[in-house]
Amino acid sequence: MARTGTTAMDSLANNAPAVPASERGTQRMADQPFWLVVPALVLLVGVLGVPLAIIVIRSFAEPDWGLQNYAWFFNSPVNLTVLQRTFTISAWVTLVCVACGYPYAYVMTVVGPRLRLLLILCVLVPFWVSGVVRTLAWVILLQDSGVINSILRGVGFGAVKLIRTQTGVVIGMAQVLLPFMILPLYSVMKTIDLRLMQAARSLGASPARAFVQVYMPLSLPGVYAGAIIVFILALGFYITPALLGGPRSTMLSTLIQNQVLSLLNWGRGGAMGVVLLVATFVLLAIAMPLMRQPHRRGRDA
Amino acid sequence: MRLKIGRAVGLAALLATTAALAQSKPVAGEVAEGSLKGKTLTFVSYGGIYQDGQIAALKEFIDKSGVQLLSDGPTETSKLQAQVESGNVTWDVVDTADFPPYVYCGKLFQKLDFSKIDISNIPEGQVSECSVPAMNYGVVLMYKNETYKDNPPKSWADFFDTEKFPGSRAIEGSGDFSGGFMEQALLASGQPVDNLTVADIDKAVEKIKAIGPDTIFWKTGAESQQLAESGEADMIAMWTGRAMTAVKNGAAYTPVWQDWLVVMDQLTIPMGVKDPDAAHALINAYLGKASQETLAKTTSYTPIHKDAKPEVDEITAAFMTNTPDKLKVGYQQNIKFWVANFEAANEKWSAMLAGN
Repeated sequence: MARTGTTAMDSLANNAPAVPASERGTQRMADQPFWLVVPALVLLVGVLGVPLAIIVIRSFAEPDWGLQNYAWFFNSPVNLTVLQRTFTISAWVTLVCVACGYPYAYVMTVVGPRLRLLLILCVLVPFWVSGVVRTLAWVILLQDSGVINSILRGVGFGAVKLIRTQTGVVIGMAQVLLPFMILPLYSVMKTIDLRLMQAARSLGASPARAFVQVYMPLSLPGVYAGAIIVFILALGFYITPALLGGPRSTMLSTLIQNQVLSLLNWGRGGAMGVVLLVATFVLLAIAMPLMRQPHRRGRDA
Repeated sequence: MRLKIGRAVGLAALLATTAALAQSKPVAGEVAEGSLKGKTLTFVSYGGIYQDGQIAALKEFIDKSGVQLLSDGPTETSKLQAQVESGNVTWDVVDTADFPPYVYCGKLFQKLDFSKIDISNIPEGQVSECSVPAMNYGVVLMYKNETYKDNPPKSWADFFDTEKFPGSRAIEGSGDFSGGFMEQALLASGQPVDNLTVADIDKAVEKIKAIGPDTIFWKTGAESQQLAESGEADMIAMWTGRAMTAVKNGAAYTPVWQDWLVVMDQLTIPMGVKDPDAAHALINAYLGKASQETLAKTTSYTPIHKDAKPEVDEITAAFMTNTPDKLKVGYQQNIKFWVANFEAANEKWSAMLAGN
């Protein structure tokens, strides 16, 4: 997702400089693909760009022009705690998704077509079920009087506090977001030539070393793509933390909802949204170069 | 055949007279025949069986007035704000939670013209400048029979007393704070509520926090019902409608009616609707006895017409809040104070919900 975004931007930038008249003929061909993007761009600007711009403007304009909403945000300890918590929970969810999604996607690439179809179905079917329904199913599994705790008690262990904790929220969110991890991973992994592993083994590498030095670097683009999608989607989660979490796992979206829907304070709500967006961009800007490097090394190898 | 025609003519004449009367002084539940022909009204509420029941309660109004009634929802004050700001209001009559018509009276909701609405049958203290009640319900303390057996809690004070009554507690955390619940927290800490001040908001929040870190804040009515049906919490502050459904589904819980918190939905007319008269006519019809009985029967919420006697089953009747014995022990929040301090209270309440 992020990558298509940049290529579209790049092509826009490349088209911008004026072209000498003599070269226009050859340029026309290259221009054509750009015009094909116009409907999509209009749609994006119309339904995404304009509302976003309105949110940003209102965050500075309401109730008066100025930085009051941002001053309020950074002077309120609740907001800062919850902002930090939002990033922490999202990071945990991303980690859990990588840990569960990586082996799963790998298995998908090595099994036969029938089993693969089954595995894909297992990922996609829950994906089609409403998020609320899935979250409520987790409530029934995780609650103190729920399935997991009944089994634990039956086996003789003490009950574990799962629901209304951050652990519960991370479990529920990771399950909802797992397909976004598995699908990009699988699409990258299926292009990796498994004979490279055999080659590494024949050159004397242990299975672990062959995996770490050959397979893993080649699969990293999939990990990064999945991780970015999962992380960004997790930042905006609302219903799952609301139902599975307690006060100590409230995420920023809940506070934004309260400002906008309950208090009709669109300025503050907008400011919170903008802070989350900017924080996300900053984090991605820091993470992107780190992600690119091993990715290139992988290609070179 | 002739007899039938005769009867129809007689009926029409009768309707014509009532219609003429209605014009001078409105009677709840009545509307002039064909008076809104060709007009369209949009009624906005919270969906589900509730809105279905409301539409069913308005059926006679629709048939008689000839109005075309559209349904929309769910109610979101922010959506209404967007409509009022853009000058394009498409919601004509809006069912809201209890606070908004007080907080946004004259800003988002217009002052009602009570020469067009008959409010004589509404229970006392429920009509405001910008709203009439849409139905009544309550927040009631439900305790788990198995946990407390012979020594059950009897009041909100017991709810806040975790020493005498150990066990987990569940509270509404679905949106706006409940002023009534905050006041009960103050009373439980020995603080009178006759002269509430802003500092009392903090005290109330502290008292609620003192219940402990394991307090469950339920986010939806369905969740509170699920808590009761699975026996997850020992005491639950619950909406009466959900409490009733949980009991019907076999939850072994008992309500404590002492100081149950009176809550209501409100009917309002937004600023800038195209036909305020038609909107007023709808509200007037909604308040009628027959309409209220239909509403109660279909939704099991308490009607807001004093004389309404809906035919409902035993459990539903047990959770209706308009019987004299229940009205006597009901607790009305100090709505003036909470509306005046809405933002401060909301901020402190949501900070608590966010774990601070």
